[in-house]
Amino acid sequence: MSADPLSQTFAALADPTRRAILARLCSGEATVSELAEPFDMSLPAVSKHLKVLERAGLVARSREAQWRPCRLDAAPLKDAAGWLERYRQFWEQSLDRLQDYLDELQMKKTKEKEGDDHGRKS
Amino acid sequence: MAASPDAAKVAGSAKPEDLVLVITRVLDAPRALVFKVWSQPEHLVRWWGPKGFTLPSCKMEFHAGGAFRCLLRSPEGTEHRMHGVYREIIEPEKISFTWTWIDEAGHPGHETLVTVTLAEAGKDGAQTKLTLHHAVFESVTARDAHGVGWTECFDRLAAYVTRL
Repeated sequence: MSADPLSQTFAALADPTRRAILARLCSGEATVSELAEPFDMSLPAVSKHLKVLERAGLVARSREAQWRPCRLDAAPLKDAAGWLERYRQFWEQSLDRLQDYLDELQMKKTKEKEGDDHGRKS
Repeated sequence: MAASPDAAKVAGSAKPEDLVLVITRVLDAPRALVFKVWSQPEHLVRWWGPKGFTLPSCKMEFHAGGAFRCLLRSPEGTEHRMHGVYREIIEPEKISFTWTWIDEAGHPGHETLVTVTLAEAGKDGAQTKLTLHHAVFESVTARDAHGVGWTECFDRLAAYVTRL
């Protein structure tokens, strides 16, 4: 899979457990065992998810001290939101053009029809 | 899951809580015509892409499982390649497809899922209500499993991110 930062962010976010971990970290720092609590999961399994979040830069953890809590880093999420905004612009402008094109197609049709009607009336 | 019942209310807005973009538009054209201009490349190249963009190349196999591949050129001349696969097509009301940008080295980026639904609107169906749903995550059920926590999280994030 591609290693660009945005793809890493989305890959990290594409798992419900990892999103739940992030949601928990939104309300403040937490240790690994605190994070594991709401899940029916072993500590190593939770650590594995945390590693994915760390690699994506979404979670920061001190390396020297294992007991130090994890905290959220929102910068990659800001990039993800910006990415969505670019898609919004893409579609809004495409749909503007779509309406113009539909108008053009229908105008042609009306003209053809008017031509026929005119022929019949006279 | 279902499209949010409030989809119309958030028309044109991104919903950051679940990374889904929902856009609704009422188009002045009957549904059959709107469907047609999504389904044939000779029509698609006339409007697909932001203002000033062109589609020098567009190949599409318009059936479920069929692929499409397009080259999009910006007004400045920058070229962007994209490809995708049609997931579901129900004439004349629904088109669903995956969408991936291809980088210069030919590597695909993150895959997203686009679903377009068309409903008759206006007097005698003279108009069409188009709802476009563009999801970052393909799996909607997975996304919704922790929907509540995610929403709260983004509420906080929205405030946090503005301070960055």
